[in-house]
Amino acid sequence: MSEIKVLPKGASKHVSLGVYVHVPFCAKTCDYCAFYQVSPTVPMLRQYLDGVSAEAGMVEWIRPVDTVFWGGGTPGLLSPGDLRKLGETVKANFGGVPTEWSVEMAPASVTEARLAVLRELGVTRISMGAQSFQPDLLAALGRPHTREQILRAYDRIRAAGFASVNIDMMFALPGQDEAAWLADVREAVSLAPDHISTYCLTFEEDTALWVKLSEGKVKLDPEREAQLYEKTWEELGAAGYAQYEISNFARPGHACLHNLNTWRMHEWIGLGPSAASQYAGWRGTNISDLAAWSEKLGRGERATEDRTALTPGLLLEDALVFGLRMNEGVDLTALRTNHPQAPWAAVDQLAERLAAEGLATLSEGRLALTLRGRLIADAIGTEIMSAMETDLPA
Amino acid sequence: MEELLTRNFCIIAHVDHGKTTLSDRLLEYTNTISKRVLTEQHLDSMDLEKERGITIKSHPVTMTYRAKDGRDYKLNLMDTPGHVDFSYEVSRSLAACEGVLLLIDAAQGVEAQTVANAHLAFGQKLKVIPVINKIDLPSANLELCIRQLEDILTIPGEEAILASGKSGIGIVDILEAVVARIPSPRWRDYPQARILVFDSLYDAYRGCIAYVRVFSGSIKANEMMMLMSTGQRAEVKEVGVFTPKMEKCGILEAGDVGYIVSTIKTPSEVKTGDTITISARPATEMLPGYKEVHPMVFCGLYPLESDDYEKLKAGLGRLQLNDAAFVYSSESSLALGFGFRCGFLGLLHMEIIQERIRREHDVEIISTYPSVIYHILKQGGELLEVDNPVNMPDPGTITEIREPTINASIILPNDSMGDILSLIMEKRGVCDHTDTLDMNRVMLRCQLPLNEILVDFNDRLKSITHGYGSMDYELGEYRVSDLVKMDILINGDPVDAFACIVHREKADGRGRDLCERLAKIIPPQMFKVAIQAAIGGKVIARDNVREMRKDVTAKCYGGDISRKRKLLDKQKEGKKKMKLIGKVSIPPDAFIKVLRND
Ligand SMILES: Nc1nc2c(ncn2[C@@H]2O[C@H](COP(=O)(O)OP(=O)(O)O)[C@@H](O)[C@H]2O)c(=O)[nH]1
Ligand code: SF4
Ligand SMILES: [Mg+2]
Repeated sequence: MSEIKVLPKGASKHVSLGVYVHVPFCAKTCDYCAFYQVSPTVPMLRQYLDGVSAEAGMVEWIRPVDTVFWGGGTPGLLSPGDLRKLGETVKANFGGVPTEWSVEMAPASVTEARLAVLRELGVTRISMGAQSFQPDLLAALGRPHTREQILRAYDRIRAAGFASVNIDMMFALPGQDEAAWLADVREAVSLAPDHISTYCLTFEEDTALWVKLSEGKVKLDPEREAQLYEKTWEELGAAGYAQYEISNFARPGHACLHNLNTWRMHEWIGLGPSAASQYAGWRGTNISDLAAWSEKLGRGERATEDRTALTPGLLLEDALVFGLRMNEGVDLTALRTNHPQAPWAAVDQLAERLAAEGLATLSEGRLALTLRGRLIADAIGTEIMSAMETDLPA
Repeated sequence: MEELLTRNFCIIAHVDHGKTTLSDRLLEYTNTISKRVLTEQHLDSMDLEKERGITIKSHPVTMTYRAKDGRDYKLNLMDTPGHVDFSYEVSRSLAACEGVLLLIDAAQGVEAQTVANAHLAFGQKLKVIPVINKIDLPSANLELCIRQLEDILTIPGEEAILASGKSGIGIVDILEAVVARIPSPRWRDYPQARILVFDSLYDAYRGCIAYVRVFSGSIKANEMMMLMSTGQRAEVKEVGVFTPKMEKCGILEAGDVGYIVSTIKTPSEVKTGDTITISARPATEMLPGYKEVHPMVFCGLYPLESDDYEKLKAGLGRLQLNDAAFVYSSESSLALGFGFRCGFLGLLHMEIIQERIRREHDVEIISTYPSVIYHILKQGGELLEVDNPVNMPDPGTITEIREPTINASIILPNDSMGDILSLIMEKRGVCDHTDTLDMNRVMLRCQLPLNEILVDFNDRLKSITHGYGSMDYELGEYRVSDLVKMDILINGDPVDAFACIVHREKADGRGRDLCERLAKIIPPQMFKVAIQAAIGGKVIARDNVREMRKDVTAKCYGGDISRKRKLLDKQKEGKKKMKLIGKVSIPPDAFIKVLRND
């Protein structure tokens, strides 16, 4: 029995399909973490693997999968055997060979055995969460690895021969000055990965860091964050990593397709607790609780909460809001053709104002944010949503 | 006419010189109120009065005193408001008397209000009995007080009674002086009834209760009375006296102080200072001194929460019932929403009303910059009265603008003289008189524009003189002045709540200050936003709102989209609650913050 309905005919032509698998296990909770993750036990692992299998069985796979992304949690925490099991389960539904298959790994979990299994399965891309190379900052984040572990893990990944490797880094950490951050960026660059993601530390509710913030032990400083953003973009650009999204940089040909398709409002199927889907006319998120998720699947239902119907208006709005996070921006002409009913007058007016104020460029129907604009992409997103509200047809 | 054994008097004093305490002692000594019932400071019944030590309303009381001559006298004591804003009310209470006790704090000596009040009493030809109070204080300086009495007030020093309300010293001397020195009730031989209204009170059940002093004739229930200022007639429902609680009696006669309940419900119809006569045999001349009181100071009052609008309206209505001098009408502001334009007698009156709205009616309010009434002479000779900058006509049509001034007496320690003189200069005032009061103090007489003392004059006077300075004033004439209307613009759109009328020379400074504060308080904006101060079309000051530097979420992947949308949605809804001025969304409390620290 499946709840997911067939896509409207014709849609599949332009729309790529991704699969996101959430692996909700971590050895230890990082201080800034707001993801759904637990530390695993043997029965939980069983429950999880069975659940993904059941869930995948409920999806109506109607066309080939283009990209795959395993995130977490720490997918790399699964044993080689479990990795294989999970891989085989999802692979059965691909309907072909995906162009990109990423797996997130924590440095401490990168072993030759695991890498071998992943290579065998067809994984093309490893994303390693290094965050920093400096012991005191790693400690401040509550990350359970060392600089040496990162370096060793990186060598192993390279030796295994994956087509693309990403390193995740974090900045604006408490106690990290500009020099310390740039040293971290340079060390990441010196490893010559294909892709680098740099994340400004975010204070998410219900994290250990949030508690510190509310206790006044750490402070927010948007000006300092803005400066670090600018420095990062400058530094990575000079090192040959082109920015293609707020936090993402790649050498030519190495941008993460799975994520690009997300920002372009294509489709993806989420498997695992807390995984999100956007597929076949709806968007929703699975229950963020292993037991509840698995129990629901056991009753033959998908454990999706928070379902929203994907109306053309919503898709357009999100294509604009999330599309503008990318350096390529959004193609207003194409969107206008697909959504002639939208309040274009208001959107155009806003686009022109953004361009006039140097927050965006507007050329040949393509709107893209400038460096200054990208730094305030959320505020601009809010403006777009307000503009979309003007005489929006019901 | 035979002498009546009645004495009508007031106690007048500078604030805190001990008027209320002494009144209580008199009530206690004459057994008007037993010691047990006498809560401290009995006459000041409103909480606010107790807290601030300011009497707003006069509460009369009738005492019986057996004098040393063996006869029983009826003594009617009126407590008066102690502040210059209420000088008309004070003058009407004085008009109901034949004499006053003038209290002087033995440790403080003569202060600005002592002088002002004494002059009011002299003006009404009342017998003034000087009482040097608080002589129990170790710092009491009797010699100095007596010299000041003679030098400043031209009252013979030997007339002074030495007293202490606190320790009960001099109480009998005071009562004997009231009997012996204050004349028996005057003007009783006028052929018809003339009854002075010196205050009124609103009672939910009985309507308007007029506090009165009968000068001639008499009044009793079921008679038809007439208010002489308007000719309005009404039937008397009840008359009575103050014991001090209201007690019904059969008749009020010449010399008596009491109250009248009539068929009139609305207090504003019974004006303080009016003369009541008997409709069947009406008097031809009113008692002297009646005038209409008009508010002098205006400001907009707005509820902080727009939901509180109705509550504020009801509160203002109730306050007005007991305060005919307070006026209000609805107005709306782009920046602050719906509120009221309010008029007050003066600054203290304004503060009191605002405070009572907050406390008694539990509404949080914000007020705009206060204004006075400007007289605007237009080309063609038309004279306009403007109390709200928003109503200023186009400058091109104006021939001249006149502003109200005050004549102030300021008493201060010698060593603050320089600073106070520069304060007066800064406030566009001139000093034309300096009197030496004693070794340490002087009294300045000066003229100042009323609008200059509205905001911080008194606070600065107090701070420069370390609390020793005091000021009293009366309204002076209107004078031509180089005034302009200044607008504050956000991206070219005026913010009505900040429009003000200022002297041309002050416009720059005030304009710069307002722009700077607004620019600082408005949260960083995505687009460039200019804040300008302008006179007519000319910009005289400008500032820019800070530019938004960083507002972006680092991680925004497939799983984050729903959550991110909710966040942006919330921000969008938040923006809808803001005021949109010059295309800028401004949190409503930004204006309030700027107005607050004005
Ligand atoms: N030592 C002393 N203090 C007094 C005397 N009379 C009043 N006070 C104090 O002076 C302050 C002001 O008194 P109050 O009667 O309220 O003055 P009002 O403002 O003139 O009504 C209070 O703190 C009283 O306790 C007095 O005779 N001696
Ligand atoms: S490894 Fe990632 S998912 Fe796990 S606790 Fe740390 S931040 Fe959270
Ligand atoms: Mg008092």
